[in-house]
Amino acid sequence: MKTQKNLWAALAVTFILTACSTSVERIDAQEQIDLSGAWNDTDSQLVAREMIDDSLSRPWIVQFVTQTGKDPAVIVGSVKNLSHEHINTNTFVANMERELINSGKVQFVASAVARQEVRAERGDQDLNATAESRNVARQEYGADFMMQGQINTIIDMEGKTQVRYYQVNLELISIKDNRKVWVGEKKIKKLVRNSRLRQ
Amino acid sequence: MQKILLIVVIVLLSGCTAYQRDSNRLATALNTQSPERVLAQLQDAEPKARDNAQFHLNKGLLAFLTGDFDSAITTLSLAKKEMSVLEATSISENVGAGTLSETLRSYSGYPTDRVMVHNILALSYLFKNELEGARVEILQADIAMKKLAEKDSLNGQLASAHLIAGIVYELLNEQSNALISYRFAQDIITQRVMPLPLGLKQALLRMSFKLGAEQQFVNYQKRFPDLPKPSQKTDNQVFVLYFDGVVSHKVERTVVLPSQNFAQLIRISMPDYPRVEQRIRGAQLRLSKQQVRTEIVENVDDLVREDLERETPSILLLTTTRALAKYELVRRVTQKDNLVGLLLNLATVATENADLRSWNMLPGNIQFGYLETTENEIQINGFNDRPEKINILKGSKNMILINSLSDHVFHYQQL
Repeated sequence: MKTQKNLWAALAVTFILTACSTSVERIDAQEQIDLSGAWNDTDSQLVAREMIDDSLSRPWIVQFVTQTGKDPAVIVGSVKNLSHEHINTNTFVANMERELINSGKVQFVASAVARQEVRAERGDQDLNATAESRNVARQEYGADFMMQGQINTIIDMEGKTQVRYYQVNLELISIKDNRKVWVGEKKIKKLVRNSRLRQ
Repeated sequence: MQKILLIVVIVLLSGCTAYQRDSNRLATALNTQSPERVLAQLQDAEPKARDNAQFHLNKGLLAFLTGDFDSAITTLSLAKKEMSVLEATSISENVGAGTLSETLRSYSGYPTDRVMVHNILALSYLFKNELEGARVEILQADIAMKKLAEKDSLNGQLASAHLIAGIVYELLNEQSNALISYRFAQDIITQRVMPLPLGLKQALLRMSFKLGAEQQFVNYQKRFPDLPKPSQKTDNQVFVLYFDGVVSHKVERTVVLPSQNFAQLIRISMPDYPRVEQRIRGAQLRLSKQQVRTEIVENVDDLVREDLERETPSILLLTTTRALAKYELVRRVTQKDNLVGLLLNLATVATENADLRSWNMLPGNIQFGYLETTENEIQINGFNDRPEKINILKGSKNMILINSLSDHVFHYQQL
């Protein structure tokens, strides 16, 4: 009889443990939460902020202002994802753009895709807008520098423990003469321990 | 009350086997029906949560074979995530599997599944023109294989994964990485005592030559003396993968015996792969001046059998332990109440089902062919004998996937 009771108890435990409900809690968008150890929004924001801060504190910007008497115009090009994860580099690029624009130290030029759309709008204005409000072609602000980069990862593992090492490399290239005026590097290391047990 | 519970348990567990039978029936149907039709039938199924990984693996693969790469990526990524979570041991499932049936455990994928999912995802990204996404998947496949690697064993080591990695790296002009991947593929094929496909020999020669790895190049020239020296200027490159057939699915081997005193029935059920004579059929690439036949890189059918074989001792141990526990339970209950004992015995027999789950819609084998040409049209003769003509642009690198289950030909081209 005792064994039979144990069987029913085991069954009950099985069903209780397999049952789970969904719960939702609103959290601050700035709150740092790491669920899987993968690249996340916090990494994207932190790296973008730190790298842009670094790039804007280097001599190239002072030299450019001294030589030309104007703030440099910058554009963010592509950031290649060479990591082990499907990282949305658009978000990272958007974070960098925000940091650059909000710094107030540089002029910022729209991306190639955005420019095409603006040009189409200008073309439309050319045909349909009043002469006073019309924006004419060939008045675009040309960028002086382009920022490009890549995200790399190295993963080391032993059993259920992983060390995830992210390295973000960015460089600022002078569009006029292809000189690299700034090279930045930011590393993130995460120790991820996966549980051996689950529900 | 207990009798009702017993009936509920039996009905629930028989539902598991019914779903499994359906899944195997659909896998067999792939030989005669189009992937689109099988996918439509599979989507009607309502798998239990514990069968989700298997369901998503099959659904994702069928979506891939129909050319719906977005769905394939979504579904296979889900399967990948599920398998990753299920790597951790579940106490509740082990209690269920240990006391009632093996099918109460969630399907967490065999080593072959865990690497093949990255292969199919990499190809999905590639044919969707997202080479960066394909690169991510081949890196993940490498991590998955490193995790599974065991000393003196090829557990979860897939030559096809390294071959696809080599092709993706070649498309990205990462020649050093491509050579390393091709070498890994060569090592695995050699360890499996299989002949090296001509395309792979050419890749090893080509990459070591382009990289200027002189010693390696000389070694490969000695090993493959029939192959010509690669030229400095590469013509249009065509990499062809061919998925042939469908992998075998498991069957149940059952023994039902009376106990020594004939007081109760004892059932032992084990999963097994039936012996099948594999017919390996290649595809043919035809140009006006040359002809290339695809050759086997991976015998997936062998891999899934090895996966099960590796698990068989632990399955057998658990099955016999469970049978003993069930026997003892029925014996004690029968001492108290004959009728309840009889019902419990029937329940223990009915719930003793082998776990027949597997990624049962994988291709039976994967083949590879390579050619370089100055021509801009190639003809592909697959198993269906309906030649397909592919236009290739001058100076392009091309990846083509054909399969024996449908007429779809997937083509990725880059200049």
